[in-house]
Amino acid sequence: MAGDGERGRPSKKLKISSKSPQIVEDDDIGHYADDFDEDSREEERDTKKRDFTKLELKPDHANRPLWACADGRIFLETFSSLYKQAYDFLIAIAEPVCRPESMHEYNLTPHSLYAAVSVGLETETIISVLNKLSKTKLPREMIDFIHASTANYGKVKLVLKKNRYFVESPFPEVLKTLLRDEGIARARITPENSQGGEAFTISRTAGEIEGGHEELLNGAEFAAAAEEKETHSFEIDPSQVENVKQRCLPNALNFPMLEEYDFRNDTVNPDLNMELKPQAQPRPYQEKSLSKMFGNGRARSGIIVLPCGAGKSLVGVSAACRIKKSCLCLATNAVSVDQWAFQFKLWSTIRDDQISRFTSDNKEKFRGMAGVVVTTYNMVAFGGKRSEDSEKIIEEIRNREWGLLLMDEVHVVPAHMFRKVISITKSHCKLGLTATLVREDERITDLNFLIGPKLYEANWLDLVKGGFIANVQCAEVWCPMTKEFFAEYLKKENSKKKQALYVMNPNKFRACEFLIRFHEQQRGDKIIVFSDNLFALTAYAMKLRKPMIYGATSHQERTRILHAFKNSPDVNTIFLSKVGDNSIDIPEANVIIQISSHAGSRRQEAQRLGRILRAKGRLQDRMAGGKEEYNAFFYSLVSTDTQEMYYSTKRQQFLIDQGYSFKIITSLPPPDSGADLSYHSLDEQLDLLSKLLSAGDDAVGLEQLEEDQDGMALQKHRRYAISMSTLSGASGMVYMEYTTGKHKQGGQVKSKPKDPSKRHHLFKKRFQS
Amino acid sequence: MVNAIKGLLISCDVPMAQFIVNLNASLPASQRFIVHMLDSTHMFVQPHVAEMIRSKIAEFRDQNTYEKPA
Repeated sequence: MAGDGERGRPSKKLKISSKSPQIVEDDDIGHYADDFDEDSREEERDTKKRDFTKLELKPDHANRPLWACADGRIFLETFSSLYKQAYDFLIAIAEPVCRPESMHEYNLTPHSLYAAVSVGLETETIISVLNKLSKTKLPREMIDFIHASTANYGKVKLVLKKNRYFVESPFPEVLKTLLRDEGIARARITPENSQGGEAFTISRTAGEIEGGHEELLNGAEFAAAAEEKETHSFEIDPSQVENVKQRCLPNALNFPMLEEYDFRNDTVNPDLNMELKPQAQPRPYQEKSLSKMFGNGRARSGIIVLPCGAGKSLVGVSAACRIKKSCLCLATNAVSVDQWAFQFKLWSTIRDDQISRFTSDNKEKFRGMAGVVVTTYNMVAFGGKRSEDSEKIIEEIRNREWGLLLMDEVHVVPAHMFRKVISITKSHCKLGLTATLVREDERITDLNFLIGPKLYEANWLDLVKGGFIANVQCAEVWCPMTKEFFAEYLKKENSKKKQALYVMNPNKFRACEFLIRFHEQQRGDKIIVFSDNLFALTAYAMKLRKPMIYGATSHQERTRILHAFKNSPDVNTIFLSKVGDNSIDIPEANVIIQISSHAGSRRQEAQRLGRILRAKGRLQDRMAGGKEEYNAFFYSLVSTDTQEMYYSTKRQQFLIDQGYSFKIITSLPPPDSGADLSYHSLDEQLDLLSKLLSAGDDAVGLEQLEEDQDGMALQKHRRYAISMSTLSGASGMVYMEYTTGKHKQGGQVKSKPKDPSKRHHLFKKRFQS
Repeated sequence: MVNAIKGLLISCDVPMAQFIVNLNASLPASQRFIVHMLDSTHMFVQPHVAEMIRSKIAEFRDQNTYEKPA
């Protein structure tokens, strides 16, 4: 019982101050005192020592799958016979913290409870099911916490019916509270026939019909859930919707709104005739995620989290097919726009003329009343001047009312861009898809309010067991630094080149070359090599004579290289910079070698792993008889004794939390591989080192991707920072593809921002943004 | 005439040897402690620096180790 109170949980403090000892039950007095005691000590001890011996075990605890602790943490035994049901329930109400093979850890948070309420679970249901599954008596703190967090959630719904926005609630008194707020009262549209402000429209809707948890409840609760309910509503001005939503957030009135779209009764927007093709068989977890979205015959806004390669696109397409209205699909770049358009054609019966792509070099007009438009975030959010064509299309997007706004890879898009996209497009229902709901800047919680709560999150290991995603062997390869490179690494004057030095470590190069050879020749695998460091990317790719793709590679070139990689038996390895992290769909690849990375980004690590997660069908052909234990490999090459070790461990955390384990390999390449591999002799190594040291600081740094690299900005005017001599033609033109070293930036200047401190003071002001 | 110097033999891996060399070079001339580099993994140093080197190396390694926040 001791040791709760962290993680921003207000319940305990409240309890202590508000509860008088008289009403505390007998057995409670003990830990009440305890709590007090702990509190007075320092926090540190508090978090380190947790004593749960006071929890009371139920007599039949062996049959129950979970432990619920007073601090909101819940532990689930995955070997229990009730695991499946318990997992479905827990994932709806709690946030998964760590999910290794046999024991999962979850955490109850206000956000996760908000999500639970929004998929239709009620406070009492949550508590009773949790109590049924728990080995111990539910701690009072947890019950209080659930009550406190769910009291206001889900009481108010924002519904778009026949293109009018209604605020709906089963509790008239809640609506009255809302209307006492000035902003909301102003936004209200009063129907003509009623005079007073107090009358609400009353309607009857079928109650929640929620599959999955009923078997855990007894009959009475089930009946109650299916009963018809009365709802009260009032209408609000469409232009004020954003304001009203804002007023309802926890920091204001604290009645967060759920958004639902009654698409079956929407007669204003034309229907889009599309169905899933019969061969599109959603997998069980895809069905489950869709059922959370369409729980009561209406469409809810929210986020669905599935690992990469688990078929997010099918979920998206299925959702669009159920709603059957115009659909706007947003992706991160032009390549994935093509992939989405392809997925729509592949899985649904949509006609080719009903789907249009809108990217900087592919502006297809929409035809007909309803249709699917696939575009990028940048195209919609782009703030500058557009060409006439795209201005027309954007106008069309703005004016149309979208049944579904489908957002791919929601975790990558910065919040301000989301706001913009959401304000430009009028959509009834928003569905966000992602694999990794983590961000290093912890902005993930913004998504809760911008899109909606997390509706479903799949367990990676369960999908691996089900054979839906590849079984990946993760390995961290330790490459010792060579003497010369480490000596340079330690020098203070090379602090800017540290990254380049540990990435270009000849031992790492040799390990990489060895792995490429091994997988190409012995297993016939398809390999992707990732490097964030452009200098290393070019150096490796040139030395090994492999194709590479990075930010400045044109769309055509990218498509060509990817096509060759997919189809040609001669191209088995490609080098990608971080442009390849997200949503470049390369189902053929099954080996990833990572030579450099973006500091400690857990998301990048998971996204990169995602490139090879798609289950491979070639398993049987490759091995005559048996099933291989692992069919995909993820190598992360790390130079020991450098900062990379720190980053590498940090990056792995997300995957470890998903239950993956990393094997450490220390002797690569094998000592007997002598001069077959590059940089064997000291001379070669020293040559490499001097090249590296003579390159400019800019050239060896990280690749700076423009925020809107696929937006129209790429094609149209762009402001470059280049030297006067380049403008006047005094510096030679160096062509991009086969340059090395410091002139790399010469020919095609990517707008890599100049170090602001070096800029002339006259210009500093202009570039402050 | 043979000169005998009392000292410490350090045996370590290649990168750590470089670390110690770098440490040595960063000190003012009067405080430098390496008497002789024997080869890339062995060196002979002044007898009193053992603790200092240990703590510097520990510090360096800590910087490169990530610990999951509790």
